[in-house]
Amino acid sequence: MASTLKYVRVPPNSANLAEARRRVFEFFKTACRSIPTIMEIYNLDDVVTPSQLRSTISSEIRKNAHVTNTKVIDMLLFKGTEELSNIVEHAKQRHHILGQYVLGREHLTQDVGTKDQGTLDFLKNFYKSNYF
Amino acid sequence: MGLSQLATRALFRSTRLAAANPHHILRRAIVSTPELHNSEAAAAEAQPEPDLPKRTPVAGARVHFPNPDDAIEVFVDGYPVKIPKGMTVLQACEIAGVDIPRFCYHSRLSIAGNCRMCLVEVEKSPKPVASCAMPALPGMKIKTDTPLAKKAREGVMEFLLMNHPLDCPICDQGGECDLQDQSMAFGSDRGRFTEMKRSVVDKNLGPLVKTVMTRCIQCTRCVRFATEIAGVQDLGMLGRGSGEEIGTYVEKLMTSELSGNVIDICPVGALTSKPFAFKARNWELKGTESIDVTDAVGSNIRIDSRGPEVMRILPRLNEEINEEWISDKTRFFYDGLKRQRLNDPMIRGPDGRFKAVSWRDALAVVAEVIHQVKPEEIVGVAGKLSDAESMMALKDFLNKMGSNNIWCEGNGPNPNADLRSGYIMNTSISGLEKADVFLLVGTQPRVEAAMVNARIRKTVRATNARVGYIGPAADFNYDHEHLGTGPETLTELAEGRHPFSSALSNAKSPVVIVGAGIFQRKDKDAIFSVVETIAKNINAVRPDWNGLNVLLLNAAQAAALDLGLVPESDKSLESAKLVYLMGADDENLDKIPDDAFVVYQGHHGDRGVYRANVILPASTFTEKEGTYANTEGCAQTTVPAVPTVGDSRDDWKIIRALSEVAGVSLPYDTLNGIRSRISTVAPNLLHADEREPATFSTSSLRPEVKEKLDKATFTSAVENFYMTDSITRASKIMAQCSALLLKK
Repeated sequence: MASTLKYVRVPPNSANLAEARRRVFEFFKTACRSIPTIMEIYNLDDVVTPSQLRSTISSEIRKNAHVTNTKVIDMLLFKGTEELSNIVEHAKQRHHILGQYVLGREHLTQDVGTKDQGTLDFLKNFYKSNYF
Repeated sequence: MGLSQLATRALFRSTRLAAANPHHILRRAIVSTPELHNSEAAAAEAQPEPDLPKRTPVAGARVHFPNPDDAIEVFVDGYPVKIPKGMTVLQACEIAGVDIPRFCYHSRLSIAGNCRMCLVEVEKSPKPVASCAMPALPGMKIKTDTPLAKKAREGVMEFLLMNHPLDCPICDQGGECDLQDQSMAFGSDRGRFTEMKRSVVDKNLGPLVKTVMTRCIQCTRCVRFATEIAGVQDLGMLGRGSGEEIGTYVEKLMTSELSGNVIDICPVGALTSKPFAFKARNWELKGTESIDVTDAVGSNIRIDSRGPEVMRILPRLNEEINEEWISDKTRFFYDGLKRQRLNDPMIRGPDGRFKAVSWRDALAVVAEVIHQVKPEEIVGVAGKLSDAESMMALKDFLNKMGSNNIWCEGNGPNPNADLRSGYIMNTSISGLEKADVFLLVGTQPRVEAAMVNARIRKTVRATNARVGYIGPAADFNYDHEHLGTGPETLTELAEGRHPFSSALSNAKSPVVIVGAGIFQRKDKDAIFSVVETIAKNINAVRPDWNGLNVLLLNAAQAAALDLGLVPESDKSLESAKLVYLMGADDENLDKIPDDAFVVYQGHHGDRGVYRANVILPASTFTEKEGTYANTEGCAQTTVPAVPTVGDSRDDWKIIRALSEVAGVSLPYDTLNGIRSRISTVAPNLLHADEREPATFSTSSLRPEVKEKLDKATFTSAVENFYMTDSITRASKIMAQCSALLLKK
């Protein structure tokens, strides 16, 4: 038991917000450095450019910009690292990358926003599908 | 979204129908539910002996006693039944509730008696008798379940299977094969045949019927169907003994418009559907009971679908309309439902190319344009496949916008929608069987309404009724007299100068059928008034008989006239600024001015799309619930069988949504809401599956016709039987048929 635990390296909690912030930047840099590998193993050259991927990574990070709790930041960092290692180790397939990071999640839900406000149920349902 | 949802809808619908109106089911469909049997059948069942279990007639078979004195009593398995004289032993057994196995016997065809599968034992007869060919005699004691009868069937089955190939796993009939079923029920568990099986060369019957002649058991049902019902002498029996074959005598395709029905009546897999070959198995298909919209007859069909795909179309029994046959167009156009479909709303860009947009954008564009034009410059045209609900919504919407220029294509520039008797088939399709003289004016029922033609042929065959025809030279499959080609023949008939007039005036129940192609003529009113004069002279319209008919061409026509889709002026298309084509492809699109904005709402990329500025994709009749009135005025509804394609929507929903975007919301947002609106305009459209005859049938209310008859001869209304609307024009099978089967 003790011997397996030895290899799992969970970094100690960040002591303060500054340390957590530094760790986030480190993670971002690691992720950016692995972009060429990712481009190669998933054969993404013809669908996306490195800079687009970089901005996707940063927007994923910025999504949680409002978090101030260091414990939560550490947890999110851990999840991010896990995702990154999964991608780099080719534990995912091309369509995962395409779906999540190239196309984004927006295309799955169309017509979101404020345009529908004020219209009645019939029109709202009509835009959604034929069956209501 | 689910097919399951569709299925539950269909289920809900059918249960609701059954609950709401048990009478019409009793009258229309043959069902075997005991409580639905009518009193006649109950009377025929006599009083059973107490020790015998109660039996119900096979498939709800009923007896009609034309003369009560002619009733005779026979005993089937010791069970007494009363039947009219002249019935066969097999029919008596059906009344008694015993299903006799059979291959060659078919209730709508003549009796051949050559398969010998229906052998039963009759007391005091030395041998088992073929029940389909033996008339029942008074006091006959029929035994269907004795060891002798069983052994006889087993023997027949063994002989039939001797030369039948063992290819059920690759046979399209597998699962719905009479031979398969009956060999399981009545056959032996082993065969004694060790020699080689015979093989027969396959025949080429054209693009619709696939033949595997080795499977044929020589029941001759197809031969009898072709000669008796379809009226073509194409099929026949060649050779004798083991060399017997079904075939066309010379290398020739089967050129009947009803040829697909031989697939249904073939008890084995010898004649199967060519387009359906190896596509699906019948047990994986979902059947949806719907109606056909490719002509104005409204044949009852069953749409067999697998997932989102229509796999085949089969006829459904309806004695009043199509009996149990359907035309080849109805049966085989379904591949057009998958081709040329419009998926997304589209707007034509400045470069002339269509660009897919969202529904929101498309509707916003149309709503903006519709407010920029003057109300009288808005024109709406409903297509020939439109359902009543969407036509109601379109009319209400355009009326709210201030325009009343709306019509249904095929009804002509100035339709007569005031008197319902002036545009429906007053005699009713089944009523044609009582007629003794027909006068066809400018109509070729064989291409315009194949099922009506089959009914006329049935009458001509049964009663030797005379048929007079006025119009361009046409192909008929029954005896007819070609009286002339134009209106002057009509005048001669009206004045009694024509030799055929005497036949007409001597007739007890004459029938005059005017084709809807005449609606397009300038002198339509004059022609109708001459026809009415003829009808008056020959006393065709009287309280007990109405023989003055109009044969419509399209499924939407009758409902459109019921709903009052009549344009305000007949020149409105030429001055239009906004044209709303609801599936209208056959209107003359050149008449639309170049600066007009054209909205095409429809399901196929057909002619209308070439001129359209905005495309709103709609669903086909297999995907929506819609009401259609057929040419005899019988309202029927389609049932969604498959989900819609792409981002398309039901027709009435599109118009309802557009009305809201345009700021003139229509007051209904459910199908029931729109139907209650229809009930205030044309309540007959809500009485589904019930023929509503016209209340008045008088011409005296019409204004006097001033215009003169045109000398121009009548033209044929349908150029190509196989391609009449956007779905059939998209169909590959229909294109093959047009290329191979049309007479040039």
